Amino acid sequence: MATDHSHDHERTDHAHHDHSGPGYMTPQAAVENAPRERLAYVMGNHVGIDETAPDFLAVVDVDPDSDSYCQLVDRVDLPNVGDELHHFGWNACSSSCHIGGLERRYLVVPGNRSSRLHIVDTEDREHPEIAKVIEPEAVHEYDLSAPHTVHCIGGGTVVISMLGDADGDLPGGFLELDDELNVKGRWDPAGEIDFNYDFWYQPRHDAMVSSEWAAPKTYQPGFDIEDVEAGNYGHELQFWSWEDRKVEQTVDLGEEGLIPLEVRFLHTPEHAHGFVDAALSSNIFHFWKRDGEWHTEKVIDFESRELEGWDMPVPALPTDILVSMDDRYLYGGNWLHGELWMYDISDPANPRHADSLSVGGYFGDVQELQGRDIVGGPQMLQLSLDGERLYWTTSLYSTWDDQFFPEEAEKGSVMLKADVDPRRGTMTLDEEFLVDFGDLPDGPARAHEMRWPDGDCTSDVWE
Amino acid sequence: MSTLRLAWRDGRTAAVEDPEGTVLDAAEAAGLALPFGCRTGACGTCTGRVLAGEVSHDRRPRALKRRHLDDGYVLLCIATPDGDCAVEVGAEVKRDLLANPFR
Repeated sequence: MATDHSHDHERTDHAHHDHSGPGYMTPQAAVENAPRERLAYVMGNHVGIDETAPDFLAVVDVDPDSDSYCQLVDRVDLPNVGDELHHFGWNACSSSCHIGGLERRYLVVPGNRSSRLHIVDTEDREHPEIAKVIEPEAVHEYDLSAPHTVHCIGGGTVVISMLGDADGDLPGGFLELDDELNVKGRWDPAGEIDFNYDFWYQPRHDAMVSSEWAAPKTYQPGFDIEDVEAGNYGHELQFWSWEDRKVEQTVDLGEEGLIPLEVRFLHTPEHAHGFVDAALSSNIFHFWKRDGEWHTEKVIDFESRELEGWDMPVPALPTDILVSMDDRYLYGGNWLHGELWMYDISDPANPRHADSLSVGGYFGDVQELQGRDIVGGPQMLQLSLDGERLYWTTSLYSTWDDQFFPEEAEKGSVMLKADVDPRRGTMTLDEEFLVDFGDLPDGPARAHEMRWPDGDCTSDVWE
Repeated sequence: MSTLRLAWRDGRTAAVEDPEGTVLDAAEAAGLALPFGCRTGACGTCTGRVLAGEVSHDRRPRALKRRHLDDGYVLLCIATPDGDCAVEVGAEVKRDLLANPFR
């Protein structure tokens, strides 16, 4: 895009460079220096609800001093219907904090169903605009489909995990965009992996970790327990050499590690520790590197719960996790049960339960706010950089919502918030905060992932 | 001459005379909005159900399982009408495919 920056910088130690690029020198600098979040970018979906309304990028006012607090103050409607926006990311983050001239300006907004990639220009933070659209054919050309996680990888280039081949079958892979945000090609040599989902990289350890959901043809129509029995869902972590772009080690998490979804390294680039939520097995795994080998261990286990009149115990389904910017707390949401939790991970091998909120889902104590029903449980999470405000949405994926929380199609989803006391390790539901995606001009919508304009706990990486 | 009839669950109906291409193509050409996602038969967003007549999938309908196909479900992004036919359409149809497995 139209930014002036070096095309061939070398990855070197930040400590020896001036801070002239996007983001912050260190995670601690982000905690200390970031202004309070005033607006959030939130994925909004009409897929599965309205056949004529496109999905959109919502600009949500999260400034309590503003007259439009908790409202959608603008939205970027996509040019097509049927995309199903899911996860998205920036063209640059703190991994480029030493690259002068580069800006955290463009959002890469993929449609998970359509494989269409939207580039949104946020130069005007309150009124972003579509800069260009990469049509699905340009993605299918590399035998890839179903874009998921977007990470910039330094210098304005972007890598996107892709969950399927051009037919929506396995294997998935990774697509690379160049610094003009055009499709450059495959990032990985074909044949490294089958399943794919999320990924995170930690350059100082020459490491990347990727996780596994399923082929698009398996998860996109909805969740079928027969697919679990048939082995159509993933249960492995892939540890890559970041420089060589090759899988160096595969760890099978087994029965206790079904559908390992979000992978989060600790933010401090010196650390080779991270966490992953095995959603279907309702477990959280810790992974770490020691003596050149990656290890995994289940560190949190959520019990299934009986629901009267139901045939099977209901798993917790922890679908999203995040690590606070100071690496002190791990947060997550149990979508089916309706539980938001925080664990102290000062010792990453032994997470200590700090607090929980029981909200939404099948079992949550709080089932309505301001007279508005909360349908799903906590799903996608985002934390303020200072670690004092935790936000979440309640939609998972349109077809899975339809199975587990069908009322969401009529009511739409919500964005909620808890106030966090990081010193004491407690959360309090903010009953004044409610962003209602059910009450929109085109009818109810589903809210999904959230990003702050200036970096956040689920996308910023330090080199 | 052939006619493609579309029926939504809210009672709306429409007819397309001499449809060309897939059911989705024909509906779009007639200005009728149907749900769709991948347009390659993988995601199931466009699932419809044949009420009368026949349609043929142009390629393998990956989003549908054998039991769905046996029950008459089709993927309208890759299904072409074989003569006169009637298809149930709309976002609600795909919700039939998979129930809550814990309930």
